[in-house]
Amino acid sequence: MATRAVEVVYRGIFQRTLARNIVRQIVFAARKDGKIGTAFGRYSDSPERNGIPAKQFAVVADTALELEESLAVYEATMVDVTINVDDTMCKGLESWAWYGLQPINEVTKPGGTLIVTSRQSADALLEDIHQKKDPYNLSIIPSTVSFSGLWVFKDDHTDMRALGAMCKACPELVSIKAMLESVQEQTGNEAKVASVQRAFDRGTSRPVEPGEGNTETPFSFDMPGWKTMEEGLVIRAQKEGTGFRGGEGGYTPGRSETFKKWSTRSMRPVINFDTCIKCTLCWLQCPDTVFDITPDGLYDANMEACCGCGVCEAVCPVPDCITMVGEPEFNDNSSQYDAWTADKDGYNKWMTVLVEKQKSETRTHGFHHVGGYAEEIAASEEA
Amino acid sequence: MATVQDLPQITGVKNIPVEEFYNSGHRTCQGCESALVMRLMIKAAGQRTIVLGSTGCMYVANTTYYSTPWVVPWMHTQLGSAGSAATGTAAGLASMMRKGKMTQEPINVIAFCGDGGGVDMGLSAISAALQHDEYNLLIICYDNESYANTDIQASGSTPWGANTTFSPTGKDIRIMNTKQKKNMAPMIATGHPNMRFVATACASYGLDFNNKVRRALTIGGPTFIHCIDPCPKGWDYDPKYSHELGMLAIETGLWIQYEITDGELILNGPSRAIAKGIRKRKPVEEYLMRQGRFAHFLPEDIKFFQDKVEETWEKWWIPGLIPITPGQDD
Repeated sequence: MATRAVEVVYRGIFQRTLARNIVRQIVFAARKDGKIGTAFGRYSDSPERNGIPAKQFAVVADTALELEESLAVYEATMVDVTINVDDTMCKGLESWAWYGLQPINEVTKPGGTLIVTSRQSADALLEDIHQKKDPYNLSIIPSTVSFSGLWVFKDDHTDMRALGAMCKACPELVSIKAMLESVQEQTGNEAKVASVQRAFDRGTSRPVEPGEGNTETPFSFDMPGWKTMEEGLVIRAQKEGTGFRGGEGGYTPGRSETFKKWSTRSMRPVINFDTCIKCTLCWLQCPDTVFDITPDGLYDANMEACCGCGVCEAVCPVPDCITMVGEPEFNDNSSQYDAWTADKDGYNKWMTVLVEKQKSETRTHGFHHVGGYAEEIAASEEA
Repeated sequence: MATVQDLPQITGVKNIPVEEFYNSGHRTCQGCESALVMRLMIKAAGQRTIVLGSTGCMYVANTTYYSTPWVVPWMHTQLGSAGSAATGTAAGLASMMRKGKMTQEPINVIAFCGDGGGVDMGLSAISAALQHDEYNLLIICYDNESYANTDIQASGSTPWGANTTFSPTGKDIRIMNTKQKKNMAPMIATGHPNMRFVATACASYGLDFNNKVRRALTIGGPTFIHCIDPCPKGWDYDPKYSHELGMLAIETGLWIQYEITDGELILNGPSRAIAKGIRKRKPVEEYLMRQGRFAHFLPEDIKFFQDKVEETWEKWWIPGLIPITPGQDD
């Protein structure tokens, strides 16, 4: 095998520049090693949407012929290294042209490496990462997840750290020497070269045994092929809503059975039902029709449908009634309203702890104001 | 003229219908305000409605391979043909009912288009549709100020100086999009004497938008609503600020909310308060500096923007509507 591939799994738009920097730099560095490569985005991810998981690839080969041969495949089905730049995607990906949930390590080859940018421990991540039949390695880049936007890039060296870790995990793909030379040449920035070297030096990996990890089976659907579609390309409409969960009073809208959207989320709203004043704003302003109306007039966010945009938190007039909390804190999509009705004191205690913790561990979510990224980088360097 | 449905005005947020006909399961961006426009539009119109969508985000992201968020009948039409699809559907319904092939009943026909499909390509078809006063139809233009679906190309609706893939800011030339945003709703209102209702709206003011949709559907004949939709992808901001940026667009005086019924203009919400002098306009800097697409602006660019807004409000014959000032002799 003289062709090797890397995939970068990233949040659409938020981390697009970051992913592009990584795959392009791999190709530039491969040339220094006398190899040839190409970098490309997955066709079916375009046009990208904010937050919806997407992929970009770098393929490196010894000769042009081998590279061409590998490119005859529409999308890499086996990669040497998977770089996941947001740890919340360890729960699985539902890309926007994909049906069902794809495990983060699905195309990582046996003995390959999964690199994750995260502040979590390997054991915590393996609670989310789906199990695999074959062994592979897990490598963690300990850093805050980097989010920016389409036009302004948050240059916090996450791309450089990922490159260093990749050279450590798979030296056959690109040597660290070639990478350092190439980064120097492309960026002319000593600090970036140092970041690559540091990530390489600190890079460790932990073997993951077959069967280790999340034992849940990812959800999937059987979609009709072009021969079984209805005449005139008819798509059946969604079901109408009902009373709260099919009962009396309240309202539960119909939910899509084929696209859940929760894997788009890196934060989720946590609701304080006791302070809710039933103003309707979170429900009214939610673009994803997430809120069920309970018979007592409260609003329960459905965690299968919520994509974590945070509009509900922004429009809520009550301080701390809705708080966006980082997704790593949760292991399932169960209803908060159910938890609250079952045990109000227990729920409130759990919620208070989470909200307090959130204040010290803010996940940023894109552009806030001009100069904001520089402030964030300075703050994270101090910490 | 066909009869219309009985859709009374909604008197408060608590009375907004709970029924949803645009569900979850669409593949839009986090915090997509255009998806909210769809949801609130169909909430106000109700179940006996046919929705027609021209190509754009609200087509592509809503109906990827065999999935849809719509509960009501929906059809895709080409980029420039929101107007023709609306007329055709309304005419088809009228004809089927006349021939007795369908039960006589008022069915709402709503066609939507983005700013690419409406302000740019679909303008002529919309104009034609709005001349047919024998059909009841509503055309909604959801304006996110770029071709956002295909990764943010500049449209006729993109504001001056905004960063897009067609107008990327550079070291030598900072301002690449030197065109001003088209003045769409007034162009429609002044040019189509057969139509009875034109409005501008923003989904950040959900109740106001709901009521405008209902007024448009019940007044009879062809109607038009132009919505401003903050776009977290193309405008480059944290998705949670979608609602706030929509409000800021109006509070800074950049977007003016009004409705024109039978030639009579009424400003709504903050725009009304600004016009009456009850409320001061916020500086546009507050709006601009929150968005990555304007991050390259220098103070002089912000001033240019502010001056344009001042001109709109102070010099135009009708603020926000008619970009004409009285000549020397008048």
